Parts: sequence; C-alpha cells; structure tokens
Amino acid sequence: MNPQALMDGLIAGSMIGLGAIGVTLTYSILRFANFAHGEFVAWGAYFALAVAGALGALFSGLLTPIGPFSFGWALPIAALIAIVLNGGLALLVDALLFGRLRDRRSSIIIMVMASFGAALTLRSLLEFTFTSKPAYFTTALQIAQPLGGGIRATPDQLLSLGVAAVLVIAVHLLLTRTSIGRSMRAVSENVQLAGVVGIEVRKVIRIVWLLGAALACVAGISAGLLVQIRPQMGLDLLLPLFAAAILGGIGSVPGAMLAGLIVGLSEAFAVQLIGAEWRAAIAFIILVLVLLLRPQGLFGRPE
Amino acid sequence: MMEVVKPVVLSTEGLVAGYERDLPIVRGVDFAVRADELVVVLGPNGAGKSTFVKAIAGLVPVHSGTMALDGADITAVPAHEKIRHGLAFVPQTENIFATLSINDNLLLAADILPKERRAGRIAALYDMFPDLSAHSSRRAGQLSGGQRQMLAVARALIVEPSVLILDEPSAGLSPKIVAEVFARLKEINAQGVTIILVEQNVKAALAIADRAVILVEGEIRHEGTAEGLADDPLVAELYLGVRHDRAEVSP
Repeated sequence: MNPQALMDGLIAGSMIGLGAIGVTLTYSILRFANFAHGEFVAWGAYFALAVAGALGALFSGLLTPIGPFSFGWALPIAALIAIVLNGGLALLVDALLFGRLRDRRSSIIIMVMASFGAALTLRSLLEFTFTSKPAYFTTALQIAQPLGGGIRATPDQLLSLGVAAVLVIAVHLLLTRTSIGRSMRAVSENVQLAGVVGIEVRKVIRIVWLLGAALACVAGISAGLLVQIRPQMGLDLLLPLFAAAILGGIGSVPGAMLAGLIVGLSEAFAVQLIGAEWRAAIAFIILVLVLLLRPQGLFGRPE
Repeated sequence: MMEVVKPVVLSTEGLVAGYERDLPIVRGVDFAVRADELVVVLGPNGAGKSTFVKAIAGLVPVHSGTMALDGADITAVPAHEKIRHGLAFVPQTENIFATLSINDNLLLAADILPKERRAGRIAALYDMFPDLSAHSSRRAGQLSGGQRQMLAVARALIVEPSVLILDEPSAGLSPKIVAEVFARLKEINAQGVTIILVEQNVKAALAIADRAVILVEGEIRHEGTAEGLADDPLVAELYLGVRHDRAEVSP
C-alpha cells in the first residue's frame, strides 16, 4: 500500500474535522442536525475566492507567492474577511429561518427539514452566482517535498494541517477555559437552567453560529487551496461531516477532530485498498456502524 | 416593644400565568413577601405552585398582572436578567450542571458579577459549604442528592440575591437529608436572605417557615403564620394532606 494515503487522509480528515466541529456544536447547543452546515464550507471558500480575486485585481502585488506557498497575501487577507462574511451569512440564515422556528418552539424534525431547505437555497445561490464550473485560488503547481517514510506533502498541505491543529486546540481551550466556553457547555446541557443562572442564551447561540461558520470557512479555503472550489463541495462533505460529528461524540470538539481524521484516513485507505469508487461509501459505513455499536460516539456520554 | 414592619421585597398583583394563553394555571395571585421572611407556598398537586414561582422567575409566560422586586417592576424582565435584579431561583429538578465541575457551576453563576468580586464570593460560598469545597473539581453529576441541592443553593447565593426562590428542594431526598437541607435554608434566611419555598413536604416546611400561603387551583385560598396553619385541622386535611382524627374535623 502506498504510504502517501496517510498524508492524503490526514489532509482530507483535517478539513472534515473542522466542519464536524461546527456540526457538533450546532447539534449540542441548538439541538438539531444542521444539514446546511456543509454549505457554509462552500460559501466560505467562495467568499474567500471573491475577496482574494478583488484584492488581486486592485493590488497585484498581493498575488506574489509568499515563501514556499502557492498563494500571495491576497488569500490570508481574504480568508479573514471571508470568515467575517461567512459568520454574517450564518447569522442571517439564523435570523431568517432557524431563529424564527425556535421562537415558535418548532420540533426538531421541522428544524432539520428547514436545514435541508436552507442547504438547497444556499447551494443554488452559489451556482447562480459563481456557476458550477470548478474554481481555484491558484493554478500554480507545487512540488510535494519528501517528508520521509515515502510520504510527500506540499507546503500548502502542511500549512492546512497546521492551521487545523491550531484551530482545534484554540476551540478546545475556548470551551474548557473561558467563561464563554462554560456558558456554551451550560446551554448545551440545560438551556432553561442556563437562563436561570444569568446566561443570555441568544448570545451563546450567536457565538455558536459565528464559530461554526468560521471553522467551516477555513475548511472550505483549505479544500479550495488543496483540491478545488465547486458549489457542490458542501453537499459532498455532508456525510463525512455527520459521520465525524457522531463518531466523535456529539458536543466533543477533540472528538469531532479525531473522528474527522479517522473518516479522512479511512476514505484514503479505502481508495488505495478497494478503489476510488468506494470513497463516498466509507463515511456512510462508519456512520451506520457507530449508530449501531456506539451511538454516543468516542467521547460522548451515553443517553 | 413594637415590632418593626419590614418592607415588601417581592410582590405580585393579579398575576395570571401559564404555558398556553387560554389555559392559565396561575389565576390572579396577589402575593407579597417582606424582607427577611421565609414564606412557604403549599397546596395540593396541580395547584399551580411551581408554575407560580416559575412565572416569577421568568420561565413561564405571564398573561396579565404585575410583579415587583425591591419596588421595581420586573414583569417583563427576561429570565436571564432576573438574577441581575437580585432574584435567584433554584428549580426542582436538574438544578445544577451535572457535566460541569462544582467549581465551574459556581464560576458560571459568578460570571455576572464584576471580575473583582468573583473569587471572593466563591471563597465565601466554599466557607459556607465546606462539603463542596472539598470536592470542587469533581463533576457535579457525581454528587449525592443532598449535595446537589446544596450546590444549587450555593450557586444561587453567589450573587447575594435579595430573594431566593426554591421549588421543592426536598423532592427525592431522604427525611434525614431534608432536615439538613431545611436547617441550612433556615440559617441562610437568618443571615438576611428572603426565601420563598414551594413544598409538598408540609410538616418540614411549616417547621422552618414564618408564614405560609396555600394555593388551590391557581388562587391563594389561605394564608397565615406557619404555626396558625399547621394547627388548623381543616386546612391541614383539606389542602395539605395532613391526616387528623376525623372527630376533630367539622363537616
């Protein structure tokens, strides 16, 4: 077996993990499976693409590649702006759709169905605006450097892995060491009691959307940098995201990341061992197995 | 010597509340608690006792009527703001965050205080409840029933509320633990915290209360001193489920 599958799996897994953190936070705090979360990954990538394009057109110097990477300063600057825009989009969707349903005390199934509707709308808007033609941040070719053990990686790939690792640690520390993290854990356990102790639940919900959208944006930009940007990329990620969120245990940030890596590696090894056509089935198989054998996931609490 | 009448801390006027607009559970309650009082709300099952205190805490919609705390109208104040006004509520069940540590439960409650007061208040509560202090990093879900109640009370006291409302703190506890919890509540009351207690455990509650109100079908039917109500056989049998000798009860 080609050891390169390990690197491919880690890279895909880190993107899945970042998206799965958003899914797991939304699930544990807003209490519904948000099937539109993958669309935030895609929108994040397109926001960055549009802003980086505009910056590049205005200041061509920003397109000169930084060091060993394939992109110039336009992309990191665009990434920061895209994170803000993606957060705004998530808040807008919540204000127009999910927030209204929450106020009406809609059941979980209505929230889930609404998320399907939101996913369709968001995806169609992307296709309408950017067409379904694949897009790229850069078309520059990068040479993968040998890392030893028959594994190679490009500087862009290593950067993506590093950024994902830093973000997971940051989110984990936010949840476990800060007052806002404590509030989020409190709302996730008992929303009524959280109100009684003085936590403004609406504020916590806004933070969850912003955080989920920010991580989704980074995942989308990584996917765009390492593979390509397509309006369908959110849909393709849907099953891996949910497989990782459930395998990791709902509510667990390190669990979502670890499970994302497991899903990514399983997909990569499956491609090597049984063939690329089975890649999409792997996340589904993992999802079914976890639900049958350990529904609480790796780090979740049994109901 | 003339007894000084303390000011009213919390009051409701014509309070109508319930989950559904056309199905009020609390039906026009006029109620007032004076500073430093310990008032117990009694009544048969389904009388609306819990709904009444939950409405005061902002957890059940108020359809009409008003409520005031320290003279300020708090009828429209949302639940999460009530604690900032000095009204602390301890729900009957799930009144602590079981997945968080004891310390995190207290830190969470202290978050609404100015930064410089937080550590001092938590230290004061640990002094008051040494049992909690000994296991501060333990998950709250691992505590016994009595310790959970104490944590819930400690959590509510962090902000030094002017009124503490407890919804059936004796639920699910053994008589020995109930006695300990109630003795603690009496101590807290003696330190100047006004307490409203909803209870099914009539005897234990009347033993520590100054005054009691009896809620029946969402309305206050009787009120009086705790001693007076405890000695009234008709009230005791009809509304409180306390059995007296038949011969003592007039038809």
